[in-house]
Amino acid sequence: MWTLPILLLAVTILISIPLSRYFAWIMEGRYHAPRVLAWFEERLNSGQQDWKQYTIALLVFNTMLFIFGFIVLCLQPIAPLNPLGRGILAPSTIFNTVISFMTNTNLQHYSGDQHLSNFSQIFFILPNMFLSASVGFCALTAIIRAFRGERTLGNYFVDMWRVVVYIYLPAALIIGVIFMHEGMPMTYASEQTVTTLEPASMGVDDHGQAKPQNIIVGPVAAVIPIKMLGTNGGGFYGMNAAVPLENPTGLSNFVTTFAMMIFPFTLVLMYGRMLRRIRHSVVIYSVMLTMMVGLIAWAVYWDSMRPNPAFTGTALARDYQLTSPGGGKRDITVPAVASLPVDQRLGNLEGKELRFGTSAGAVFSAITTDVTCGAVNAEHDSLNPISSLSAFTGMWLNCVFGGKGVGMINFLLFLIIGVFLAGQMVGRSPEYLGRKVEAREMKLAVIALLVHPLLILGPSGLYAATSWGVGAESNPAAHGFSQIVYQYSSSSANNGSAFDGLGVTYGLNSNPNPPAEAVPLDIGTGLVMLFSRYLPIVAPIAMAFYLGRKKVAPASLGTMRDNTATFGFLMLGTILVIGALLFLPVAALGPLAEHFGPIPFGG
Amino acid sequence: MLRSVGKSLWLLLFAVVLVCGIYPGILWGIGQTLWPFQVNGSILKGPDGKAVGSLLIAQPFTKDEYFWPRPSAASYDGTASSSSALAVSNYALRYRVAQAIGPIAAYAAGPKQGQLVAPDIETWFQADKFGGKPGIVAQWADAHNSIAQTWVTGDPTHTAYVAAWAKAHPQIVAEFVKANPATPHPQPSDLAVVFFEHFSKDHPGMFPSSVTHKGPNGKDVTEIMPVKSGSDIQANFFDMWRQDHPDVALQNVPGDYVTTSGSGLDPDITLANAEFQLDRVAGKWAQDLKRDPKQVKQEIGGLLKQYAFSPGSGWFGAPIVNVLQVNLALRNRYGAPS
Repeated sequence: MWTLPILLLAVTILISIPLSRYFAWIMEGRYHAPRVLAWFEERLNSGQQDWKQYTIALLVFNTMLFIFGFIVLCLQPIAPLNPLGRGILAPSTIFNTVISFMTNTNLQHYSGDQHLSNFSQIFFILPNMFLSASVGFCALTAIIRAFRGERTLGNYFVDMWRVVVYIYLPAALIIGVIFMHEGMPMTYASEQTVTTLEPASMGVDDHGQAKPQNIIVGPVAAVIPIKMLGTNGGGFYGMNAAVPLENPTGLSNFVTTFAMMIFPFTLVLMYGRMLRRIRHSVVIYSVMLTMMVGLIAWAVYWDSMRPNPAFTGTALARDYQLTSPGGGKRDITVPAVASLPVDQRLGNLEGKELRFGTSAGAVFSAITTDVTCGAVNAEHDSLNPISSLSAFTGMWLNCVFGGKGVGMINFLLFLIIGVFLAGQMVGRSPEYLGRKVEAREMKLAVIALLVHPLLILGPSGLYAATSWGVGAESNPAAHGFSQIVYQYSSSSANNGSAFDGLGVTYGLNSNPNPPAEAVPLDIGTGLVMLFSRYLPIVAPIAMAFYLGRKKVAPASLGTMRDNTATFGFLMLGTILVIGALLFLPVAALGPLAEHFGPIPFGG
Repeated sequence: MLRSVGKSLWLLLFAVVLVCGIYPGILWGIGQTLWPFQVNGSILKGPDGKAVGSLLIAQPFTKDEYFWPRPSAASYDGTASSSSALAVSNYALRYRVAQAIGPIAAYAAGPKQGQLVAPDIETWFQADKFGGKPGIVAQWADAHNSIAQTWVTGDPTHTAYVAAWAKAHPQIVAEFVKANPATPHPQPSDLAVVFFEHFSKDHPGMFPSSVTHKGPNGKDVTEIMPVKSGSDIQANFFDMWRQDHPDVALQNVPGDYVTTSGSGLDPDITLANAEFQLDRVAGKWAQDLKRDPKQVKQEIGGLLKQYAFSPGSGWFGAPIVNVLQVNLALRNRYGAPS
């Protein structure tokens, strides 16, 4: 039960320490590239950039990526590697998908196994996964350089090249080899057809012939390593890492989970190394780790050690008195429920796969939301509701290691707020890295920080109250609301996981009866992903620049030290208090209401 | 700005060559050379040398001679993975599980220990009283509108039966339209609850179910008729029977026997689940082969032990068996089931 998460954390921590040294070495540019690679790097180098040039380069490149992605997806029907003849996706779904992969979200309003050809998997998914994952990485590097007081922040294109070539590619190759050994397909074919062992068990066709079982295969082992390492999370198959061909064994699940954790872990230490403040980054690392341990333990306890309450009983009927808005009172009786005879020693098994191990689904649900990966190896819709609170919290806080680079950046925003609060409490002007935090930095930090809750709560409310979202809910009452909140939390956190019951899939453009809510949800989540990606990258770069150009005041007795346990508790408190203030009400209406409310509800 | 556009295009070009061409090419070369079985989908060959399935993808088994995989929300379609996405609070989840358990539920204690509950469900159903009130079917449809609607829409013969009923009872339909002006032309699914309420009155202790019988010309005819017993009643009304008998001790069925997996394609079941099915499987093979059931059970039990494995070499979870692997072994050992 607990072996899996403990082993995962231990291995990730151990490997992140030496790896952070390598990352810093690469990003500082201290390596000597082989001549071929050096030629490419020279070709990309447009010289040193200040923070504005760096940011513009970042935005221009992402625009190019958007156009490129749009074209590739539109080419699907006429491109090669499409033996199953997949048509073009619905326009709104293309819009959503292109943004989703460009912003490292990988929210999927389509099903990879049903709607994409191998051409799209290779030429749309793969470059987006490598490049979008590198964007956050570069942004963090730029912020570090700004904090060091450097006038120029390096060159964006060279940074991107370094991350892709020296960090992601080698790691993806190693992990891909492990995955292939474990049973992941790696072929340019699209389908395998088999006759079932029990004749006609798939049914018979119109001519009375036994139907075969068709199985989608493809270059899975190329997509999945970078899907996890880049905390992208967009599955080759519709049900993501739950599908056996995308996650064949207990070992592959371990490596998969490890792969999504390792880079976010490492980047925190890289931050410390590049700033030469290792102890400071260890404090940050510990704060994040504490939150992650809590969230994993919460998920495992409530999902893997507790039965699915759908099958358990409540012995006593419960009476409630409701006051209706008119003033009248109404008595409601929730009847007693008898249990169903189901052995639930292995916890809630609905939506779980067996080959990963007992607690694997819950552990994965916590980690994938903490590091904003968004891959899933179990159905989050069917998690015990109180356990799903862990997944929600990971996305709401968005800094429990977080996505590569972006998670650390989000943490810095909380950090600036934290030192400001602490400064107010002790009556000193707040400072970070020896530099005074003043109005301009505070404004930028707060803007970047507020984008996230605004883009979750606003659209959730809108869609939960209108026909844009209500009809898409596939589960009753509180859980239906949770589905919408989850969709927007996932979009805004650039996470990409989902409560899959929500009817968002338009699919191919030729779909004769798409769900009516698919288009508004495609557009709504698409815009949220876009805004919540770039604002919280651009504003912190500016903030770091303004902070970095200030004079460093020498540390005195009154300086609050940022490398102590006290500072860690300050950060933990700041994050939890702000997080709770922002999201507790919506948690009460969603997962908590479902947990405490009558189960089953209606029907 | 323009300079950034140019460099962006170069970066994009280099990246596409590298990650769309070279990177997957290297993996493809390694995989196809070293592990051709795995990288082409882990396809297993059957007794006649033809591909019978993927080791990693569940396929349906319905014969008693075979172990059955977990239920699938994807109908075992290897091209469209899918979970049930049913929330804990969604009655459809509890109902689906109750339906699966009803026909196989057995007493765990008392004078009838080990016997099936099914006959008692039928007797209780024919008495037509739930919670002391008459009309089980009417109460069932009232309490769970969506379940009643799913019954109507889930099978074309059901839809046709309700449509025919609506045609024969224009007065009831007219009353329905009067009470629900928003649906002036009710479809069969709209009428589900009304239909069952009247059905319950007209046929107390009965439920519409498909029955096959000899028609006038000697051929088999399948049609929907009111019935007093059968698996439909055992399945659909097990949950209500249970509510009327909350304290009766029943044997637990393994959790993975009744829950769907995340992908709908989970190729494994727990060893506990396989052992739960062992009596059925061994009994049927013994019957087919005219051999001693005990001996066959021992053989197949041994086979299960041989094929059982645990996630992460036992570090992460309980032992499981691969359904296709075990069934293929059964097929190879005992031949085709009769």
